[in-house]
Amino acid sequence: MTGNRSRRRDRVPGARLSFGRVVVATMVSVLLLGAGNATAARAPWERVEVIQELLNGAEPQRDAIQLDLPAVTQDGSSVAVTVDIESPMTQDDHVERLYLFALGNPSPELLEVRFTPLSGRAGISTRIRLDSSQTVVALARTSDGDWLADVRDVRVTVSGCLSRDDTYASEDLMQTRVRVPPNFERGESAEVRTLIQHPMETGLRTDASDRPIPENIVRSFEAHLDGAPVVTARLHRAIAANPFLLFHVAPERSGELSLSWEEDTGDKAQVTAAVRVD
Amino acid sequence: MKLSKSISRRESLKWIGVAGLSAAFGAYVRPAWAGSANGRVVVVGGGFGGATAAKYLKRLAPSLDVTLIEPQTRYITCPFTNLYLGGVRAFETLWHDYTELREVYGVRVVHQLAEDVDADRRVVKLADGEVLTWDRLILSPGIDLRWDALEGYDESASERAPHAWKPGAQSRLLRQQLEAMEDGGTFILVAPDNPYRCPPGPYERVSMVAHYCKTHKPRSKILLLDSKDAFSKQDLFTEGWKANYGDMIEWVGRSQDGRVLRVDADRLEVETEFGTVHKADVLNVVPPQKAGIIADRAGVSDASGWAPIKARTFESRQVPGVYVIGDATEAAPMPKSGFLANVQAKMTVQAVMADLAGQPAPEPSWANTCYSLITPEWGITVAGVYEVYDDVLREVPGSGGVSPLDASAVFRRQEADFARGWYAGIAQDVWGTRSSS
Amino acid sequence: MFDTLRPRHFFVIGLPLFVLCVTAGLLLAGDSEPADQAETLPDAVESGDAEGRVPLDSRAEIIAMSCAACHGTDGRKATAIPALAGKPAPVLEALLLAYKRDQMPDATVMPRLAKGYTDEELASVAEYFSALSPE
Repeated sequence: MTGNRSRRRDRVPGARLSFGRVVVATMVSVLLLGAGNATAARAPWERVEVIQELLNGAEPQRDAIQLDLPAVTQDGSSVAVTVDIESPMTQDDHVERLYLFALGNPSPELLEVRFTPLSGRAGISTRIRLDSSQTVVALARTSDGDWLADVRDVRVTVSGCLSRDDTYASEDLMQTRVRVPPNFERGESAEVRTLIQHPMETGLRTDASDRPIPENIVRSFEAHLDGAPVVTARLHRAIAANPFLLFHVAPERSGELSLSWEEDTGDKAQVTAAVRVD
Repeated sequence: MKLSKSISRRESLKWIGVAGLSAAFGAYVRPAWAGSANGRVVVVGGGFGGATAAKYLKRLAPSLDVTLIEPQTRYITCPFTNLYLGGVRAFETLWHDYTELREVYGVRVVHQLAEDVDADRRVVKLADGEVLTWDRLILSPGIDLRWDALEGYDESASERAPHAWKPGAQSRLLRQQLEAMEDGGTFILVAPDNPYRCPPGPYERVSMVAHYCKTHKPRSKILLLDSKDAFSKQDLFTEGWKANYGDMIEWVGRSQDGRVLRVDADRLEVETEFGTVHKADVLNVVPPQKAGIIADRAGVSDASGWAPIKARTFESRQVPGVYVIGDATEAAPMPKSGFLANVQAKMTVQAVMADLAGQPAPEPSWANTCYSLITPEWGITVAGVYEVYDDVLREVPGSGGVSPLDASAVFRRQEADFARGWYAGIAQDVWGTRSSS
Repeated sequence: MFDTLRPRHFFVIGLPLFVLCVTAGLLLAGDSEPADQAETLPDAVESGDAEGRVPLDSRAEIIAMSCAACHGTDGRKATAIPALAGKPAPVLEALLLAYKRDQMPDATVMPRLAKGYTDEELASVAEYFSALSPE
């Protein structure tokens, strides 16, 4: 897992004690000391129950994690989200978990991802459902037990020019698509794209005769490289239909990537893909 | 006042059929401040938004000094270029000029490129070095294409694989390629994710291409690779395609691996999110877009690439005194349509006039209708009425919506006729061009 | 105040009149000059209230500005879409209300648009266009 990983954001990973960092750290310390009572200074999202339970009093850092999603979206049924976390992703120092929340949804949980050093890069992309304009929160915990957080406000409108087709063909249910790079450089992370056909029924809709349609979702996803976990994910009902998940893998040698999805009925879909390291 | 109005109405109901009576009451008088608004307003961009703004500024406040900056002496509309591509309308019928704005309304029209805006000094710098000062600035710059957004698709690639999303030489190129395509060829259109100019545009375009191919190249195939899982008037398009073109048009949504990530213009190939490579005979790439570049220079656009505006006035949220209208704005739920650019211009003109007079802007109201043609005799629409509610834009509850499914041929025909009527009407309202319908 | 006229009154008085209106509306639409009349500067709309007239709310004009995007400036463009300027206000109002209440079976886009306005707004827009000269 040696350095030189390709990154979208260059954040000088080597410069551990740069002048800028010292200044920022000092400022943050001053602010925190000045605030005296930490909870009083907390943002509203930090007081949301599910987040409070996770943080358990910890103060999340805001600089090493980036949550990207559009400030305004015309279609709340499928909003692209990307999270990227700066981390060496070594055995000693890596991001262990990532949580995504949409605070204005009927239930805030979106996604929970577990990374390993084999991920090479703690970053994911997916598509989520947003019920209304609201705040989306990404929370991550490192192997040191530190918490990282990033927050975005999103305005959701329903465009007059968009009409939504809410029916899904059943013949390709649980059909998967995977895109793995044709070759990897040893230890370098590269992105893997996955998708599974699934309506992700929220349990909040009713059918034509007004009967509630029961919740039916793909609840988990796992990626293993020759048996070793790369990422595992817990999906909630506000992941958009036909769940899309982009993650990273940094293989040391050629092998077989095994991907599996599990529906809440227990049904599974599985697919393997060759990973070639030059 | 209200009482007398209501009596008038009762009277008028009694006297229905008596022509000319209505002229006796209801003569409209604008607030006193409106006509006497003074100052210098510069409008950048001579399209649906900008040309309308310049015209209505002078119509409503003739004493204003109004300058319109537009590099082209001849404006070509985006609406109805699809009809040109389908061979059902001559390109020249999409051309409009600024004669009437200049001669009838007294707008100073400067055919130059606006290169920069200094909002602190309240000046616009033109490409030829001229510097114009303004009291209020209205930007209606339309869109620019994001050449960096789709791997392999830059300006030179568009010479092989045209976008034709800004009309002109690109439209002609795409039409020529379509004419040169052999019967049995594959036409691929790559459609972007939201937001982009004219949400139903890509779908009308493949309709018009199919209309052309049905007659001239009936064995051809049309593939629409989409970065979205849903699109404007989807059910109506799907119904119309099936009824008129059978299986000629195939739409591939994002979840079916329709999202294109890489373009090879030399080989006329595109590669999707999950690695499928499609080969085209004619490749039409509609790339992701952003506000026209002057919006960046003026500082009114944000990280999204679009210009956030105040709902009531369309004044920039980032630069006071600068108003932004049309496709460049981030004005959802309003779609990026020529119709709305036209109506936004009129509302913003009133806000600008009010502001110059030190008055609050009147309560605005916007309507929109997007017409699309599936065949020259098969029109469909989506309409909406918009208002400000809680300081944000919203569609008036209960208003708007799309044409019905399963409508009669007469109904579709009528909406197609109205589409042509709309084009003539709005062209007259914007440029005063007396286009035939 | 307008509410006193409906909904009951609309059916008692309005419905027979409505049939008349539709007929009138069609006639009016039919006799419109196609396309080519020269546009002149507006004359019916004046600024200032020097003559002591009480200004109406500018709401009607604001709403009418959207209409112009299909019906031409001041509603003077006649195509497959009819011109509006100078048409009798009662006819225009009855048509707009009929659109809004889905009483025009073959209507296309107008019912969807008319539903975006109050009855008062529609009435004022009808008056506004009726006060404009057709040329």
